[in-house]
Amino acid sequence: MIEVVSRTLLSRALAVALLAGGIFCGRSAVAGATSLEDMLSGALMPSAAPTLLAPITSAGRRGWECKPERAAASRQTSVAELPPDPTP
Amino acid sequence: MRVLLLVALLAPYLGTQAAAQTYAPATPLPRTTAAPTLRALAVQREVEERFKIGLDAESRKDWKAAAAEFERIVALNPPEPKGSTARYNLAIAYANLQRNDDSARELRAALALDSEFLAAMANLIAVDLARGDLREARKIADRYVALAPDSARALYSRGIVALQSGDATTAQQDFGKLLHANPSYAVAHYNLALAEERLGRFDAAEQELRTALALAPAYARARFALGVVFLREGNHLAARDAFARTIVDASGDPALQNIAAAMRDSIKP
Repeated sequence: MIEVVSRTLLSRALAVALLAGGIFCGRSAVAGATSLEDMLSGALMPSAAPTLLAPITSAGRRGWECKPERAAASRQTSVAELPPDPTP
Repeated sequence: MRVLLLVALLAPYLGTQAAAQTYAPATPLPRTTAAPTLRALAVQREVEERFKIGLDAESRKDWKAAAAEFERIVALNPPEPKGSTARYNLAIAYANLQRNDDSARELRAALALDSEFLAAMANLIAVDLARGDLREARKIADRYVALAPDSARALYSRGIVALQSGDATTAQQDFGKLLHANPSYAVAHYNLALAEERLGRFDAAEQELRTALALAPAYARARFALGVVFLREGNHLAARDAFARTIVDASGDPALQNIAAAMRDSIKP
């Protein structure tokens, strides 16, 4: 009788251990996949924000002489003071 | 002959007259004894002088001295355009003193005085990005693009804000439009590729990254992104090569080198 109970207990304990192991491994695999995905997504960073445009004289922003306002309005990246292309 | 003689005789007098010519002073002399008028002229003069001193301090990168000058001008509450311009300059000094919240407040005040001040919008977006306030950055960027739809800086700024806040569709549109006028700007091709990748359009992302690398062959971040796109496409061998080359190109970016090395080593040859 005792032998039967102990065998049942042993088989139940083994089943629980296997189940727990399975869950643990599954979670680790998912965690691994998530961290790789996170690592990839996190590494794909947008380029830098533009730097601040320069100060303006007391004459104000209107007129051709105001370089910062021209930079803010220009359609050309070379005038707009945007981050430059990387060079070797 | 007589004409020549006359010209020769008159020449010294003409020269003297030109040399003695006087110019109006920068600030007109007061022609009144009324106290309010004299006070207004004194304030006007003080504003002009402080502008010169403040701009000189900013050119020397003496941001503390510049902030003091522009704070005083703001306190004097000069009429437009000096009011909004002083706040704009004060915001630049604050941003360089790492006082980004104060900088944003001054730029908002400048825009309240001059609602079409594009340079103030451009700087407020940059300051908001530094503060991590993506909501205000997007609100100002939308206003900036509405006022200047062809502006390269407006499109770039909103594209960056959109990418940072997960709006890949707007980023795709803005960088696409920016590239229409500036097809040789590699940075915009890279950002457009990120938007395409997030939209699951891996072919388009790969194409943009190849263009970015053709324009700027040492663009390590673009090379790394190409590796990621190859992985997404299931092309592991090409991905491994791209990560390996990133390690070489990213000599000035150890963080990128490390992650590229980890990615390369995780792919079995």
